[in-house]
Amino acid sequence: MPKAAECYELELGHHACKYRWILSRHIIPSLTTATSSRLAISSFFPSKPRSEAMLLWVSTMKSDASSEDIIDEALNLFRANCLFRNFEIKGNADRVLIYLILFISECLSKLAKSPSPGDAVKQLSTLAVTNFAIPGDATFPLNAMYSHPPDRGQADQLRIYIQQLRQEMAVRLVERVYVDGKPSKWWMCFQKRKFMGLAL
Amino acid sequence: MSSLPVVVMDNGTGYTKLGFSGNNEPSFVFPTAISTHESPSASGAPSVASKPSYLSGNLASKRGIEDLDFYIGDEALANSKTMAVHNPIRHGQIENWDHMERFWEQSIFKYLRCEPEDHAFMLTEPPLNPPENREMTAEIMFETFNVKGLYIAVQAVLALAASWTSNKVNEQTLTGTVIDSGAGVTHVIPVAEGYVIGSSIKSIPIAGRDISKFVQQLLRERGETGIPPEDSLYVAETIKEQYSYVCPDIVKEFKKYEQEPDKYFKKYDGIHTVTGKVGFYYVNIPYSVDVGFERFLAPEIFFNPEIASSDFLTPLPEVVDNVIQSSPIDTRRGLYKNIVLSGGSTMYKDFDKRLQRDIKRTVDLRVKMSEDLSGGAMKAKPIDVSVISHKKQRHAVWFGGSLLASTPDFNSYCHTKAEYDEYGPSICRHNRVFGSVM
Repeated sequence: MPKAAECYELELGHHACKYRWILSRHIIPSLTTATSSRLAISSFFPSKPRSEAMLLWVSTMKSDASSEDIIDEALNLFRANCLFRNFEIKGNADRVLIYLILFISECLSKLAKSPSPGDAVKQLSTLAVTNFAIPGDATFPLNAMYSHPPDRGQADQLRIYIQQLRQEMAVRLVERVYVDGKPSKWWMCFQKRKFMGLAL
Repeated sequence: MSSLPVVVMDNGTGYTKLGFSGNNEPSFVFPTAISTHESPSASGAPSVASKPSYLSGNLASKRGIEDLDFYIGDEALANSKTMAVHNPIRHGQIENWDHMERFWEQSIFKYLRCEPEDHAFMLTEPPLNPPENREMTAEIMFETFNVKGLYIAVQAVLALAASWTSNKVNEQTLTGTVIDSGAGVTHVIPVAEGYVIGSSIKSIPIAGRDISKFVQQLLRERGETGIPPEDSLYVAETIKEQYSYVCPDIVKEFKKYEQEPDKYFKKYDGIHTVTGKVGFYYVNIPYSVDVGFERFLAPEIFFNPEIASSDFLTPLPEVVDNVIQSSPIDTRRGLYKNIVLSGGSTMYKDFDKRLQRDIKRTVDLRVKMSEDLSGGAMKAKPIDVSVISHKKQRHAVWFGGSLLASTPDFNSYCHTKAEYDEYGPSICRHNRVFGSVM
């Protein structure tokens, strides 16, 4: 079963680069070494829940078009993964991946009425920023698998990070799914499949 | 004994394969179905007593010739609107002897058109078939049809014999693991020197019919509206048979379809079976269906069952590995070395390669782990894993029967009419190839 590559998991000094989110594909990465082609780094929800919960999600994006970040990875893995009901979480990158795959499903169900590409971007961007649950909220479907932010401040930062993920995903999903002005049926056929039996 | 060829009959749950020994292909392949005028009972149990008709006694109550009015095979299905269709074989075993007797009658006289008195017969049985069933079969064959000789072979052993035609095989051994996948069920059967290791057999509830249903479901989810509803299963079956293959990695395969859509997406063209009105005329209107990911997702359910079923989750390579690991330790190398495919649902392109790769991976990992545990003190001799695919795979069991029945030794293994008359049906408990009571 496909997994998000372990190489996302960079052993970063947690304290050194706390709270750093960069999520635009145009920003030149500042964290990774020049030789690394894999630029997307996403670390975690810490393994010790709640205690020392520290949210550190780093996602430094593409410097060139050929490399993939976590958003692209999610788009690539979506069709294969949403067929599966079980998924073994090996690292925190997988947690991000699961969230993104579930979000893609949600987006696709919004595209079911096949709006024009312009409308689609608008609708999905609205969806990306409207009220959504984050780990710790009662309505978040994956609470058992994700640790919760310990205080208000970190919850807000997590919310901002997730929102950035959602916005970026909305834009790229439309680019990817639309062919000749309407959503491709090779994507839409997966809208009814529920990855791990879950939905956001 | 005689120069006339042996009649080889392989009655499976889904299809019956009929023909004469020495041939490469069965002369007839048709569904194991019989249509009669009896009303089918709700439970699926036989409505007539489960005995040959001459014992059931209710023939006397029928003054006419109703019991002669029946069809088998494709004709039976064609008459399904006016007659009741029965499947005399379920899960590989004969469930309704009265229907089976009549099924054999037409198989011999209407299809093969031979005189059973002049031919020896080779029949097949599933592994773990109770000896009582074998006796019953012998009774019908010798008493009703008066056959000259009878041999009942285990399907898995015949499948092994059929694999000798592959050029990957360099010794004719009867040791190996048979993966037999037909329409209804998939069996993994270890055979050591011709003996089936009964305690290690595993069956998997995924086979041809499930794959067709999965393809049908994928087509429906995609909203392929062109397919006429009455043909939807047929279209799914045809797409499965014509376009499917096994891929090494589904994520990469999805990517390939995205990068080179023209090369990978196909089109299936069909014609409505029911005529529609165009202008003033009624014609069979053509339709076309896009064929996409089902090409590699269909056989993928053997390797990742969770994408189609919710109750059975063990991948086929893992089942095969478990079967071999539960067999006697001195047979395991032989079982890994000769994994033989049989049946229509193993015909996908590259099925053998993927299976071999996945089993090899598990085995190598296990060997490495035990080497590591020994702290480098022990070095294991590498285990040879080889999955054998050959041209006769679809009707491998029948072909193996045809092969064995044309060997000169066959006549001496056969139970003859004279022996039956002397000792009775119990002779069929004995198999002379192994010289022991089975």
